[in-house]
Amino acid sequence: MLALQPPPQAPIDAPQIEYSAILPVLILLGAACIGVLVEAFVSKASRWAAQVTLSLLAILGAGLAFVLYVTDSPERGLTTLYRTIAVDRPALFLWGTLLALGLGALLLIADRTVERGGAFVAQAGIRPGTVQDRAQMASGGMQTEVFPLTLFALSGMMIFCAANDLLTMFIALEVLSLPLYLMCGLARRRRLISQESAVKYFLLGAFASAFFLYGLALLYGYAGSVKLADIANAAAGSAASDTLLFGGFGLLVVGLMFKASVGPFHAWTPDVYQGSPTPITAFMAACTKVAAFGGILRVLTVGFESTSWEWRGVLWVVAVASMVIGAVLGLTQTDIKRMLAYSSIAHAGFLLVGALALRPEGLSGTLFYLLTYGFTTLAAFGAVSLVRDSNGEATHLSQWAGLAKRSPVLAWVFAFLLLAMAGIPLTSGFIGKFVVFSAGIQDGMAPLVVIALVASAVAAFFYLRVIVLMFFSDPAPDGPTVTVPGTFTTAAITLGVLVTLVLGLVPAFALDWAGTGTFAF
Amino acid sequence: MTPTYYLLLSALLFTIGAVGVLVRRNAIVVFMCVELMLNAVNLTLVTFARINGSLDGQVMAFFVMVVAAAEVVVGLAIIMSIFRTRRTASVDDANLLKY
Amino acid sequence: MVGDVSVMAQSSGSDLGSYLPLVFLLALGAIFAGVSATLGALVGPKRYNRAKLEAYECGIEPSPQPVVGGGRVPVAYYLTAMLFILFDIEMVFLYPFAVSADALGVFGLVEIVLFIATVGFAYAYVWRRGGLDWN
Repeated sequence: MLALQPPPQAPIDAPQIEYSAILPVLILLGAACIGVLVEAFVSKASRWAAQVTLSLLAILGAGLAFVLYVTDSPERGLTTLYRTIAVDRPALFLWGTLLALGLGALLLIADRTVERGGAFVAQAGIRPGTVQDRAQMASGGMQTEVFPLTLFALSGMMIFCAANDLLTMFIALEVLSLPLYLMCGLARRRRLISQESAVKYFLLGAFASAFFLYGLALLYGYAGSVKLADIANAAAGSAASDTLLFGGFGLLVVGLMFKASVGPFHAWTPDVYQGSPTPITAFMAACTKVAAFGGILRVLTVGFESTSWEWRGVLWVVAVASMVIGAVLGLTQTDIKRMLAYSSIAHAGFLLVGALALRPEGLSGTLFYLLTYGFTTLAAFGAVSLVRDSNGEATHLSQWAGLAKRSPVLAWVFAFLLLAMAGIPLTSGFIGKFVVFSAGIQDGMAPLVVIALVASAVAAFFYLRVIVLMFFSDPAPDGPTVTVPGTFTTAAITLGVLVTLVLGLVPAFALDWAGTGTFAF
Repeated sequence: MTPTYYLLLSALLFTIGAVGVLVRRNAIVVFMCVELMLNAVNLTLVTFARINGSLDGQVMAFFVMVVAAAEVVVGLAIIMSIFRTRRTASVDDANLLKY
Repeated sequence: MVGDVSVMAQSSGSDLGSYLPLVFLLALGAIFAGVSATLGALVGPKRYNRAKLEAYECGIEPSPQPVVGGGRVPVAYYLTAMLFILFDIEMVFLYPFAVSADALGVFGLVEIVLFIATVGFAYAYVWRRGGLDWN
């Protein structure tokens, strides 16, 4: 009877796992799983409190584990889990950034003071425009699945920027994207455009991940492995066809650029930023950008540095396209959330300048830029969610006229954040742009940097336009009011503004931290 | 049979899927085209596993299948929710968000 | 020894004895099918209704065909189909594990139990929130 049994296999060694290094991610994933169980077994009335407590504890716990690990982490970094995850200095910098931004975004998501019951729909299954829909708008309930989804997305982002292997990167990409697709469609008000943004984000996102995957498959065919280091080795000395290498690289980059909402792959960004619930927009704009550029930096530096002279020209064009599209189309926007979306496309172009520099200054500059941009954006979207009229958020620019007369505090805060995005000195945005552009110059990309400077001057115009509108126009008689936020939203906005201010005045410590090490592989 | 034919076939399937995403109007059909692209990737992966003589590609195909299934579920849920409101799954009718 | 036999079976193909388990399996299958069909006919209750006489006892009525765009499939079908796809495909990871269970040892077992537990969390959510109720 035993005749058909295969010969016994040699034992397979269990991978070496550095649990202390990946503990922050494990805590977040574990808490997300517990969050799913909370949804299943806790009564509806106490779910919100349970989920908020659990999620906050998870992020704080992950932050504690992170801090404990960072204090005595090896200088050169380490790789773990069969070399699929690299916990090195850039990854740790990004993890710290993501955890802090995630905390801010979670506070915005959990807030129930700005809108009664929070920014999320009470029941996603209710059809917009029906009697039940009007009832849910007035009700205090919300779809509390948002919290575990946020934790899943955040852990996916953390794995994404530490992934040393394209397959791990792909799985992390999906773990971060799928929850975001769902959360986009959960706005309490304006359900139609919220659902529409979810469909658009989903279809385009799935399209882009198919490109990423095909690139992965071609690179697997080229190098016989999807580990970035193996691809780099194969590219350095291999007789295999360059078609596979560059075809694979191109497709891979399309997928990555889509997630980072760069240049010609930006089509989803304005629609999704406008349609999503504003706390989710803040989460996406800040955290997804950080994670996606973390991935781009690692792929370009670890995997493809040796062939950079072949592809850099193409990415120059992409960076220019992104800056021009963001700056020029941003000028024509009349909706504040769309305007911030185009601003994010322009910033993606600036970030790409740093990522293309492929030298330690470029790496540390881009990391620093991501840190500053993330906090500024988070606070900006937090501020947007406060300006409301009877229909919910008042996002049309004309409604923002004369806002300084109604709420000087909010107007000053928002003006400061816009100045930071424009890169005015004494804000973090200026330092960020300065380090990224000087890295570009050092690497001989002067023409690109000149274009970037022109683009940021153009972009500054539309930020200033909003400031002028807020301070020097007369408010409309039936204009929106500024809601006084509760603890959560106040904390998130304060966090963003403080970081923007501190990094503008004393950036040295963060710059040092960003420059302490390079990628391990 | 040389494995190259399978690579060509998968490239063809991927292209058909990509063109389908761009030209078809029904969200469900667009979505099926994306699935076609993912399955073309699976074919590429197992072919390269054969060429390279390693099993990695086949295992990766498993991961792609699972991710594709998760994507189907999320996608169908989103498309169904918008269909129930609008009684249409045409991507042309989703036009509330523009400049 | 086991290894030797299987190698021989692969190399020569003349050793028909190694196919004996297959014959056993076939015979077992035939016996099981025969016994259950006979038992069902003998001892089962016989109550007929319209649904039982249709081609398939579940799912959408196969005829008349839905008019294009007019005949709609209830949303409940989508829900069931989505849950089926999800839990069905997750199980694909059990195959590679089962093939190498010995070689993977305790670590592999722990990992697969963790994996099944994670799927179990999702199952608990679906079950508690009424995803498995038809109405």
